[in-house]
Amino acid sequence: MTPYTKKDVLLQANNVSLSYDGKCILYDICFAIRDIVRPGLLQGQVVSLVGRSGIGKTQLFRLLSGLQKPDGGRITIRERVPSAKPDGSIQVYRERIVQPGDMGVIFQNYYQFGWRTVGQSLMLAARQNKVLAGKEEDVIRQFTQQFDIEDVMSRYPAQLSGGQQQRVSIIQQLLKGSDFLLLDEPFSGLDVCVLDKVVELLLQVSLSDELKTLIIVSHDIATAVAISDTAFILGKKPGHEGSTLVKEIDLIERGLAWRNDVREEKVFRETIREIKECL
Amino acid sequence: MFKPFEKLNRQTFLILVAAQSAVALLAWQVSGQGLIPHPSAVLAALGQLLTTRLFADNLLTSLLLTGQALLYAVVITLVLAYGAVIPFFTPVAQFIVKCRYLTLTGLIFIFTLLTRDGSQLKLSLLLFGIVPFLVTSFLSVILRAPAQEFELCQTLGYNRWQSLYEVIIVGKADQVFEVVRQNFAIAWMMITMVEGLNMSEGGIGALLIKYNKYNDLPHVLALQAVIFGIGLCLDYLLGELRHWLFPYTKL
Repeated sequence: MTPYTKKDVLLQANNVSLSYDGKCILYDICFAIRDIVRPGLLQGQVVSLVGRSGIGKTQLFRLLSGLQKPDGGRITIRERVPSAKPDGSIQVYRERIVQPGDMGVIFQNYYQFGWRTVGQSLMLAARQNKVLAGKEEDVIRQFTQQFDIEDVMSRYPAQLSGGQQQRVSIIQQLLKGSDFLLLDEPFSGLDVCVLDKVVELLLQVSLSDELKTLIIVSHDIATAVAISDTAFILGKKPGHEGSTLVKEIDLIERGLAWRNDVREEKVFRETIREIKECL
Repeated sequence: MFKPFEKLNRQTFLILVAAQSAVALLAWQVSGQGLIPHPSAVLAALGQLLTTRLFADNLLTSLLLTGQALLYAVVITLVLAYGAVIPFFTPVAQFIVKCRYLTLTGLIFIFTLLTRDGSQLKLSLLLFGIVPFLVTSFLSVILRAPAQEFELCQTLGYNRWQSLYEVIIVGKADQVFEVVRQNFAIAWMMITMVEGLNMSEGGIGALLIKYNKYNDLPHVLALQAVIFGIGLCLDYLLGELRHWLFPYTKL
C-alpha cells in the first residue's frame, strides 16, 4: 500500500446534537476528518456518512453545511487565514465554527437557479471566489472542458439531464473555492453507466487539491465505501431516541481506499456486511 | 373530450371555442327580445362606433391613463413588496394588503380635495384600487420563494442583500411580470369606473356612461365588447412579452 500519514484536523464535530419539537434527532455526534498526506500525490479526503433512510443523514448534512445550527455541540473547520501569532510567528490556519458558505454543497436534486443559464450560474459562483478575480472565464472554460459540459453553457437547468445538472452543481461549488464539498445522496437515481462516471468525477475532484475534502452522505453503502478513505456509520443505539455515529471505519487501514477494483475484494464484502449489521 | 384531464390539441380546442361561441351567439340571437338588443344590432353599433373619431380619441385616453396608472402602481408595489422583506417595512406592506377591503365610495371626496385636477383624481383613484391587489400578489410570489433558493445563495457565500437581489429581484422577475399581467384586468376594469366618476377628459368609461344614460344598449354592449376584446389582446401581448423577456418560462 502507498505510504500515507494522517495529519491536521480539517473538520471536527464535538458532541453535536439536534432536536425537533422536543424529539431528539441526533445526539453526541463526534468525529474528525484529518488531512491525509501521500508523498508525491495531491491526495484529498473522501469521507462517507452512511445510514438507513430516515436516520437523520440529511439533518447532519445540513448541520455540516452550516445551513442549520446544532442545538448542542459545535462543528469546526480549519480555515486558511495567515495571521501573526503573539510570538511573532505566522499562523497559516485557524479553527472556527462552520458557517453557511464555508462548504460547497451539492443538494440531492442538484438545485440550480432556474432563471440563470449554466454559463451565468458558473460565472456568479466564480465571482464569489476572490482568488479567481480576472481569470473567471478561463477557469470556467477549463472546468467545463474537464467535466464535458462546454456545449450546455447557454442552456437553462430545466434543459439539462440529471447528470449534467450534477456536474454543473459540482463545478459551481468548486469555482466558489471551498476546500470542502458536501454531497447529499450523489448516487441516488443514477443508472449504472452514469454512476461509474459520477464516481470517477468525484475521485477526480478529490485529487485536485491536497485539502479538498469530499463528504458524501448516502444510503448507497457499497458505492460510498468504494470511493472513500473513511466511513462513518449513522445508526441507533439501544435505549436512545435519536441517532448517533455508531462506528468509524478506516478504509485505508483495510486496504480499501484509492483502488478501482475494490469491490472484488473479500475484505470489501466483509466491510459492507459489517456496516449493514450496524444499521 | 368529455373525460376528466383529457388533453386536447390546439386545433381541436380552437374549434371547440369557436363552436361554443357560435352556439352562444345563436342562442342570444334567437332568445333576445324587447330591450335586449340582438347580436346583429350590437354588431351594427360596433361598426358605427369604429368609424367615429370620438371613439378613437376616448379609447386612446383610456389606454394612456391605464398604462400610466399601471406603471406607477408597479413602481409603488415593487418598492413596497421588496421592502417587505426588511422587517422594518413589513407592517406598511401588510397594511396595504388589508386595504383591499376598503371601498372607494365615500373616499372620492377626500381624493378630490387631495388632487389638483380630474386627471390626477382619476390616476389616484386607480392607484388606490390597483396597488393593494398588486402588493398582495407580489407578496405571495415573494413568500412562496423556495427555501432551497436562499440556501443555494448561502452555500455560494452570498450575503443577505445579494440573496435578495438574486432570488427575489432577478429570480422572481418573470412571476412579477405575470402578476402585472393578471392584475392588468383589474386596472382595465376600474378605468371605466373612474372615468365615470370624472368625465371631464372623456375616456371609454365616460362614453359608456353617456350611452347608458340614453339607454342606448346596442352601443353600450358594443363598447363592452371593445373593452373585452382589448383586454384579451393586451393579455395575450403581455404573455408573449413575458416569454420573450424570460425565455426560461417556456421550458
